[in-house]
Amino acid sequence: MKTMAARLGALLCGAAVAAALPLGAHAEDKVITEWDLQTTPGAVAVIRDAEDRFEKDHPGFKVEDSHILNDAYKAKLKIAFGAGEPPCVFSSWGGGPLREYVNADQVVDLTPYLDQHPEFKDRFATASFGAATTDGKIYALPAENTAVAAIFYNKDIFKRLNLTPPKTWDELMATVKTLNDNNIAPFALANKNKWPGSMFFVYLVDRIGGPEAFAKAVDPAADGSFTDEPFIEAGKRIQELVKADAFARGYNGLDYDIGGSRRLLYSGRAAMELMGSWELATIRNENPDFVDKLGVFAFPAVEGGKGDPNNLVGTLGDNFISISKACPYKDEAFDLLMKLTDDTAAAGRLADKRVMPLKNLKVEDPFLKTIVKMVGEAPSVQLWYDQELAPALGEAHKDTTQALFGLSMTPEEAAAKMEEVAKSAH
Amino acid sequence: MSSRSLSPGRIAIPVLGLFWLAVTTLPFIFVVFTSLKTQQETYANPVWALPESLNFSNYLEVLQGLFFTYLKNSVIVISISVAIILITSSMAAYALARLKFRLAGPLFALIVAGMIVPLHITLVPVYLMTRDMGLYDTPFALIGPYVATSLPISVFILTEFMRQVPKELEEAALLDGCGPFKIFWKIFFPLSRPGLATVAIYNGIMLWNEFIFAYVLTSSPQNRTLPLAIWDFQGQYSANIPAILAVVTLTSLPLIIVYAIGQERIVNGMMAGSLKG
Amino acid sequence: MTVATHRAEPVRRRRARALSSALAPAVFLAPAVVLLLVYLLYPLVDSFRLSLLAWNGLGETARYVGLENWVRLAHDQVFWLSAGNNILLALFSVLIQLPIAIVLAVVLDEASHGSRLLKILYFLPLLMSSVAVGVLFKNVYDPNFGPVNSILEAFGLYDWTQDWLGDPHLALASVIAVVCWQNIPFYMVLFLAGLASFPRELNEAARLDGASEITIFWRLKLPHLKGTFRTAVLLAVIGSLRYFDLIYIMTGGGPDNASELMATYMYRTVFSSFQLGYGSTIASAMFIVVTLIAAVSFRISRRFETEI
Repeated sequence: MKTMAARLGALLCGAAVAAALPLGAHAEDKVITEWDLQTTPGAVAVIRDAEDRFEKDHPGFKVEDSHILNDAYKAKLKIAFGAGEPPCVFSSWGGGPLREYVNADQVVDLTPYLDQHPEFKDRFATASFGAATTDGKIYALPAENTAVAAIFYNKDIFKRLNLTPPKTWDELMATVKTLNDNNIAPFALANKNKWPGSMFFVYLVDRIGGPEAFAKAVDPAADGSFTDEPFIEAGKRIQELVKADAFARGYNGLDYDIGGSRRLLYSGRAAMELMGSWELATIRNENPDFVDKLGVFAFPAVEGGKGDPNNLVGTLGDNFISISKACPYKDEAFDLLMKLTDDTAAAGRLADKRVMPLKNLKVEDPFLKTIVKMVGEAPSVQLWYDQELAPALGEAHKDTTQALFGLSMTPEEAAAKMEEVAKSAH
Repeated sequence: MSSRSLSPGRIAIPVLGLFWLAVTTLPFIFVVFTSLKTQQETYANPVWALPESLNFSNYLEVLQGLFFTYLKNSVIVISISVAIILITSSMAAYALARLKFRLAGPLFALIVAGMIVPLHITLVPVYLMTRDMGLYDTPFALIGPYVATSLPISVFILTEFMRQVPKELEEAALLDGCGPFKIFWKIFFPLSRPGLATVAIYNGIMLWNEFIFAYVLTSSPQNRTLPLAIWDFQGQYSANIPAILAVVTLTSLPLIIVYAIGQERIVNGMMAGSLKG
Repeated sequence: MTVATHRAEPVRRRRARALSSALAPAVFLAPAVVLLLVYLLYPLVDSFRLSLLAWNGLGETARYVGLENWVRLAHDQVFWLSAGNNILLALFSVLIQLPIAIVLAVVLDEASHGSRLLKILYFLPLLMSSVAVGVLFKNVYDPNFGPVNSILEAFGLYDWTQDWLGDPHLALASVIAVVCWQNIPFYMVLFLAGLASFPRELNEAARLDGASEITIFWRLKLPHLKGTFRTAVLLAVIGSLRYFDLIYIMTGGGPDNASELMATYMYRTVFSSFQLGYGSTIASAMFIVVTLIAAVSFRISRRFETEI
């Protein structure tokens, strides 16, 4: 009995090995996994096209991609790396979370590859590598879009009430008052998700203290901290807006992902929204009739502030693509990265109303032109805090900002909480 | 009937019944009505206004997408899971209720205590195992966790149930020379049918709607189950409320149809084996 | 089976029985126990191990920190706030869901006409997935476009309109109401099951004695349901203490942690803050809290049962 079972086992095993061998040797087996968080048909098409071109150039390679929505993507990527089974090529937002992966020695340093292809590297706007750089080494390529936060507004309402886009904080407060007097909510804000409200805070800190304020606070070697005056003042201004009823009702509970804020714009119940420039593409898909009424202006200057009013908050790249150290085919993976960010891909994205951060991109669309011009004139583009900061600190930033909006924390308390978390991280 | 005078109970019952009817159905009516409106109507008209015209385009669009793939995955995963739950939990329940061995008491307590394990603890380890087994991002990844998390309550229900099977039947079978396996298969399994129905229906409904494991253990739409359809469609439509609510309606519909057809049997089934604990 | 083989049974039978008395329980229990060990016990034990590490979950960067995470947990206001919210949820689940479910069960049990249709309609909420319920009620509660505020406004009750999910004082209550809406049908069926075994004759006899419906309910039906009631309390308490779905979908634990639960806080700590070690500490603590409270409520419900 025993011997027979053993023989049978051996036979089966042999069969399995034999069956596995040709497969292992077969060229088809070389799979490069690619994960990203693009779920709209236009964005997915660009990626698939680049992958098809890659497969053509590298016979025997296959790219298996998955496109996963935002929140699920974050959780999944984290679990996959934790499990030691990361995808070969993956997207992130750069900044703090990417650095977390870099510090855990999980991400391939792309600098040597880029040095081999200087003409490829030099196409990118220099500043766009900022969010992908740690200790002078580049770990990701900016891939998807140039997104900066600006104030979208309903031109019809502004015209009817004889309003012009406010250039300073005081003018903004006056605009808020006029709109309220006419029973229109000044800002639509969907802050259940916390990052939309964070944009106000980041802009205010930048306008009040300049980009240095934040840079000093995050650098343990510098003498700055999150309790510095610009952070507290930014909190105060947010609460000034809240107390002036600047936000449409329910702002801390509205869900951006189900269009909680845009519905207010569409219905004319709110006049403005501070949002990333992707909002235009979204509105175009969702409610094309509304696009004609839509205007955009930069976040106003704060009187007496140190920051240049041309400074922007946003991201040059939006998503950044990297190679994981676990990837068995790193050289090929880098070629895939190049295909995903080459001129063909850039043209595809442009047709989908997204602007890759390239130096010589010809933009025709008037709105996108405005964005490109704003970026070109900006002395500094501050990456969103929740993406720039280490994850735990980024969460604390979002939590405290939501609390500021809810008036359940004073600016001083919020600042102290941030500094406490920042300290415990070092 | 008519001779009985109107006691407070006679009035209160229909009033209460109607009131609760409104509470449960109004949200559904809101969903269905809104899903038939155009986007513009949802901004311009009050919520309770009837749709200006019946606009089925949202439904068509969803049905032409991957809807049936999600549905197929749900059906496969849930039927396999429920079958495994029934077999494993009834076997365990039989041993705990009827076979005399020293550890029966503590083991029963331990298994039932599984009900209090917070499921989210298990996410990361379960994910690792799923990868190692090569099941990641397949509908089959869900079966293991689904069965395991349903076992405690199923074993609990069935053990209580099997304890009530009359001793005489078992004794007669023993005298007849049946071993425990035969006794289980020929007597306890069939006699527990009401309890098994409860377990199947209860777990079937709960797992049909499960989303956290499905969310983490699968990633491509081709392999996902129905509750995630809303999640995935949300990325496409976001502020298009009628479209989202059409998805809500469509994803809820299969279970509602099954329930409407088998209503009597489902409620009775759930009741029959219901925990007499 | 022929007579001949039947005669041959006894010897084999005795041997089989001796063997099976030792082996059978093991064989019957093995599949369930293996599954539970792999999918529940191992992860549970592992989370206690991870709670002693400072680890972001990536690569070989884990550092043993002893009880540091547990000390931090003891001082973590958000954790205690969320534990408190879990207890509130449990309390309201028992106090709202169970009484309504009992009353509905009695109503359905009494109503002869249309009870079939009612049973279908009453059951609807349980048939929807939490994601669907969450999306549905996010729209219902929308302060600007949702039906709740619109109806209040239509009646001129402007002061009653609220920011249901955005006001920290209301967010938890708003979600609890939805949790109740979704779960009441389940308990209703449970109690219907209990009532099904209520002897009809007793009902009739009491009526003939002139007892009112209300007396019958309090004196006869409620005591009859005590066993079911105990089960329901336990299920409601345990379910509430490990609750996640609707909070995650509707408020994400906000605003300002006002509706945070232990499970959502843990999920956020692991997946958004990258603190696998501390997240595991929260998970382990959650297990301890649930075990303690489940034990206590088991005791209380038992005493309650003897009092009825």
